[in-house]
Amino acid sequence: MNPRLLLFITFILLQTQAFAQATIQGKVLDEKGLPLPGANILIKGSYDGATSEEDGSYQFETDVKGSQVLVFKFVGFKTQELAITLDHNSLEIRQVKLVEEITEMNSVTISAGAMEASDEKKAVVLRPLDIVTTSGAMGDIVGALQTLPGTSTVGNDGRLFVRGGDASEVGIYIDGLRVGNAYGSSTSNVPTRTRFNPNIFKGTFFSTGGYSAEYGQALSSALSLNTKDHSLRTQGDLSIMSVGGGYAHTLANDTQSISLTGNYFDLKPYQKLIKQDFDWERAPYGWDVELSAQQKLKKGGLVKVLARTEAGGMKLWQVQPGEDGRGMFVNLHNKYSYAQSNWRNSYDNGWSLFGGISVSSNKDDLIIDTTPIERKNLLSHAKFTGIKDFSDRISMKVGAEYFIHNYSEQLKTENQQRSFEEGEAYFFTEWDWYLSKKLVLRGGLRAGNSQLADQSWIDPRVSLAYQVSVFGQVSIASGQFHQLPIENFRVIDPTIGNSKAKHLILNYLYQKEGVMFRAETFYKSYDDLIRFEGTPTYPTLLRNAGSGYARGIDFFLRDRQNIKNTDYWISYSFVDSKRSYNQYDTEVQPDFAPKHNFSLVVKHFIPALNSQLGTTFSFNDGYTFTDPNESGEMNSKTKSYQSLSLSWSYLPKPNLIIHFAVQNVLGRENVFGYSYARQPNGQGVFESLPTGQPAPRFLFLGIFLTLSKDKTANNLNNL
Amino acid sequence: MKKYILTLAFSLLWIAFAQASDPAFIAAMQKQLTAKKTITNYEQSQTVTNGFLRIADASDSEWLPYYYAALLKTEAAFRFDIDKDKSLDEALELVKKADKIAPGNSEITALNGYILMGKISLDPAGRGQSMSPQAMQLFGKAINLDRENPRAVSLMSQMELGMAEFFGTGPEKACGMARMSLDLYKKEEAKITDEYLLPTWGKMQADQVASKCN
Repeated sequence: MNPRLLLFITFILLQTQAFAQATIQGKVLDEKGLPLPGANILIKGSYDGATSEEDGSYQFETDVKGSQVLVFKFVGFKTQELAITLDHNSLEIRQVKLVEEITEMNSVTISAGAMEASDEKKAVVLRPLDIVTTSGAMGDIVGALQTLPGTSTVGNDGRLFVRGGDASEVGIYIDGLRVGNAYGSSTSNVPTRTRFNPNIFKGTFFSTGGYSAEYGQALSSALSLNTKDHSLRTQGDLSIMSVGGGYAHTLANDTQSISLTGNYFDLKPYQKLIKQDFDWERAPYGWDVELSAQQKLKKGGLVKVLARTEAGGMKLWQVQPGEDGRGMFVNLHNKYSYAQSNWRNSYDNGWSLFGGISVSSNKDDLIIDTTPIERKNLLSHAKFTGIKDFSDRISMKVGAEYFIHNYSEQLKTENQQRSFEEGEAYFFTEWDWYLSKKLVLRGGLRAGNSQLADQSWIDPRVSLAYQVSVFGQVSIASGQFHQLPIENFRVIDPTIGNSKAKHLILNYLYQKEGVMFRAETFYKSYDDLIRFEGTPTYPTLLRNAGSGYARGIDFFLRDRQNIKNTDYWISYSFVDSKRSYNQYDTEVQPDFAPKHNFSLVVKHFIPALNSQLGTTFSFNDGYTFTDPNESGEMNSKTKSYQSLSLSWSYLPKPNLIIHFAVQNVLGRENVFGYSYARQPNGQGVFESLPTGQPAPRFLFLGIFLTLSKDKTANNLNNL
Repeated sequence: MKKYILTLAFSLLWIAFAQASDPAFIAAMQKQLTAKKTITNYEQSQTVTNGFLRIADASDSEWLPYYYAALLKTEAAFRFDIDKDKSLDEALELVKKADKIAPGNSEITALNGYILMGKISLDPAGRGQSMSPQAMQLFGKAINLDRENPRAVSLMSQMELGMAEFFGTGPEKACGMARMSLDLYKKEEAKITDEYLLPTWGKMQADQVASKCN
């Protein structure tokens, strides 16, 4: 055919088409029938379309013909399609109502019991950076969490105590996998800290009750730490501290990264300079090596590996009441390893899958006076979960877990040994149901089985959240929780079973740019707590016979908006808790549950000095103890606990941080309880000694240097 | 016979050419790019954004419509009184879509970093520490992908200037980069034709950084 003719015909056709344009008009409304401006209206497969105006109306011309599909699109709303037939005439489209999609960003979240540290999500109480910059925490995750509501500072222990619960009632997880012996091994009245460096985590989820069916074996609290996804940059991080030093090297490319870290600490030089109240034979020392690796997979998904091994020890004399001399000699040496690997991926069909396995191995070699004792704890955890989003309104989570838990203790000289081997299986499911953007219901079930205790159980969990105003929401959570006794008890009597708790929590959360206020009241009941005869060191006749309760209210206010360059938060918790447990015959207020707990954290940035100044003040009204010279149990209380800490972080160069901190600046002599002689003296009085702090103050100086081709990198970037 | 083969070859070539730069696509893009220049309020910005998104829907192998829609959402966050975080998050989603169509594109990578810069500016104390290195990394990557991309260099110079001001160090590095980007803008201007659809924005910001260097 003649090409020129073809061109001519095409031209003519185009002309006629152009003359036969049709006008399409209509109106877009939202669910409530109000005009929706900004929506995109288009004919599928063509460039023709328009945007809805202030009054929701739209109008456009098109030369497309025949059966077509009109599409209504708007970010945050469900796309709608409408079949239309186009001819030469104008077309008036019926009103279309777009339904808003429910997303994590625009909907209410369940905040009862939950506190998060994250850069990504909303309802965040702390950011990851806060954990290292909270004065007084000394870079310890748990130290920073102790400034949050619902927690109590127990200075001679150092672990996390939540709402009248003991430290074992907090379950600690890394990437959803349980960590055994998460705190460094220590001896009684020498405070410990978390083994893991906060720098490796990108987010923290801390629940003070009523938490998800995903977590079990914790009566009071779940602490879930999430590791970083993928490092961006090859760099080296050097730290030189008054108590030791370390180096971390990271290699990274677009799809994978690997970090190797080594640290060494020894308090000996520090303790030579600054007088200690404890009678140290050998100051605490230790080393650790850690490997973390992340690999992005080709088909999406991420695989992570975290492995750590460490060793350390200490030797000290502990004076005994009513006895002369240096007292009891304790020599502790600890070896610990933790390894885990996990994989996660999300699929287009609405499924997100997670699989992981972890192993924690702990070995304590202890010499008390002249008696050598060896304790071994091995915990393995395998977990698989699947989340399915059926729609933006309904999602389901299902999971299965298996634990292998081996524990043994040995009196080496007498060749006496006792041990247990445990297998635990769990299944859980949880459903989130958004009735609207403002109302969400969550229901879950967790079923468990313990081979050793020969018990099976089911825990229901329910929570809901309702948005009451633009910035405010109310949530309620309730549930049942089971926890098997601590290893020391189970090894004596493997048949003892679960303790049980029930939570009821009512929470109000108000958040507006830079300001967060949170008020929460709770009631927690305890049943089947362990009771025994004798003393905690030599318990006999163990049985699930104790019970108790904890109730109270706590408040939290954080403001980083209203005072220039200043960020502060205030927490107050009131806890009224009593329980019959351990050797106590009556219901008593436990020594780890002070009634009034208060903390204030302030961070102030001074741009002219490139410095951040921080201070933390912690207070509680004192710890209960039993004075055998008086009648009754837990019949006395110490004076109040108070500690003021200061810190100064200086950034002279982008890749250098100098950090100086003092804990308990005022040197207050805090007492956490008293120990009493077993027998009365000649005058018939039980002699006592206060349980105090290792030293009135703790000073810390650290220099952190980042080495990288990119000179702006510094240690804090890792967060 | 020869003639027919030649005609066939030419028409095949023409078809191939037409697919590479479909005139309807070019026309539609140019219409939106022209409208983009006259935006004075958020409603107009939304209208043009929607225009690009319609093109993106119809031409699902083209990255430019998503790119410009993302750019508009980013600029809207800087210019208008709206929910800035939301607008930037939406921009990030659109950048992801563009990146899926054209992975390893220098312009898309630079825009991604620009959006992060916007996010940082909304909460410097909270986000600076974690997001600055991400933005820097993206600008570095964008420069490596295309050493002639003036936006990647100019945006990096802005980050460098901010950093220099914070630490009270000299702006020499930022200045050098700003000057480099201005040279690249000149080179780019020489390439611009009537049918030029690729990004050309950002010279003003480079001028601003350069104005602080004397």
